[in-house]
Amino acid sequence: MEDVLDEVVSSEDLKKFERVYHEQLHASNVTQNAQFEYAWCLVRSKYSADIRKGIILLEDLFNKEGEALKRDCIYYLAIGNARIKEYTKALSYVRAFLQIEPGNQQVQHLETTIKKKMEKEGLVGMAVAGGVIIGLASILGLGIAMAKKG
Amino acid sequence: MYNDMPKVDLKVVLLGSSNVGKTSLLERFIDDRFNENLPNQSTIGAAFASKEVCVNNIKFTLGIWDTAGSERYQSMTKLYYRGAKAAIVCYDVTNLESWERAKYWVRELRSVEETCVVYLCGTKKDILDEGKTATPDLDIVERYAAGIQCKFYLVSNKTGEKTSELFDEISKDYISDPDNLHSVMEAITLTANSKTDSRCCPIG
Ligand SMILES: Nc1nc2c(ncn2[C@@H]2O[C@H](COP(=O)(O)OP(=O)(O)OP(=O)(O)O)[C@@H](O)[C@H]2O)c(=O)[nH]1
Ligand SMILES: [Mg+2]
Repeated sequence: MEDVLDEVVSSEDLKKFERVYHEQLHASNVTQNAQFEYAWCLVRSKYSADIRKGIILLEDLFNKEGEALKRDCIYYLAIGNARIKEYTKALSYVRAFLQIEPGNQQVQHLETTIKKKMEKEGLVGMAVAGGVIIGLASILGLGIAMAKKG
Repeated sequence: MYNDMPKVDLKVVLLGSSNVGKTSLLERFIDDRFNENLPNQSTIGAAFASKEVCVNNIKFTLGIWDTAGSERYQSMTKLYYRGAKAAIVCYDVTNLESWERAKYWVRELRSVEETCVVYLCGTKKDILDEGKTATPDLDIVERYAAGIQCKFYLVSNKTGEKTSELFDEISKDYISDPDNLHSVMEAITLTANSKTDSRCCPIG
């Protein structure tokens, strides 16, 4: 049975969004949307090098001025990190999200999926001990972004 | 509500503007619930849920992709309706903008996914029952749907009115196509040894 973490992007799709991003990069005018779409493909790639690149692009977007994408970035940062087995980090993103939207079913499902995966790999309990803390400022920023949406 | 992805017979995609009630429709179908008190839960990218249905004693699985209505996801949404056999295009019956958007999705599907059966779904009927007027007029919507030969359902996720009828219809339409019936039966035969009883009660 597949889950949200197994979903992979086809290489044609990845290339399509990559092209747009690189064209804009070349013209020194990368739109948030193009960067997000490209990162969205990368974190769902088969290759961990791609996923890592996607994570960097998402972190960059997250730290930029615009608030609209923060919520979406957090979600895909959790997915990306989980896919390269950075479970502790992935779970800390999930928790940051759930702190602001406690009832979000999509994110709750992601949390369950990540935990199941860890269990399968014999990593139970690790997440609780570790705890990579996403800067408080970022979490607050996310809160503001979400409040504005409503 | 959301679950992992089992083998799916019928891929369905939910399309429409943000806030029209796609996720709520899915929740009605999967868990027969409506949670009005939950704050904004705008879907991120796309989410998946599946459910086994039964028509004429044949069991099969619907896999539903609930897409994000936000314009930001427009080009990504195309990746989710690819290969869908049915699409529910939703609009809010009191929101003209969402109607325009619904027509965009219908056109898009018709040109890109020719074999996908499109169902038009007007949501939030309960608001009409409270006295608000529909925009556009429901006549216009019905005429439009008839004109493009697509079924139109007026539903309320809040009360549950007509939501299960919509999914029943989608399931029945699917299995009444001999090709689809054939592929479902083939899958059943293949798993007959390992699976338990595949009989069930008819829908509706
Ligand atoms: N009164 C009423 N409210 C509804 C109905 N369906 C959904 N809503 C409300 O409309 C809002 C949006 O519902 P969602 O199901 O999250 O909408 P969506 O289409 O999934 O939105 P995105 O995920 O952003 O694309 C929520 O506050 C729901 O409670 C309905 O049939 N009647
Ligand atoms: Mg939704």
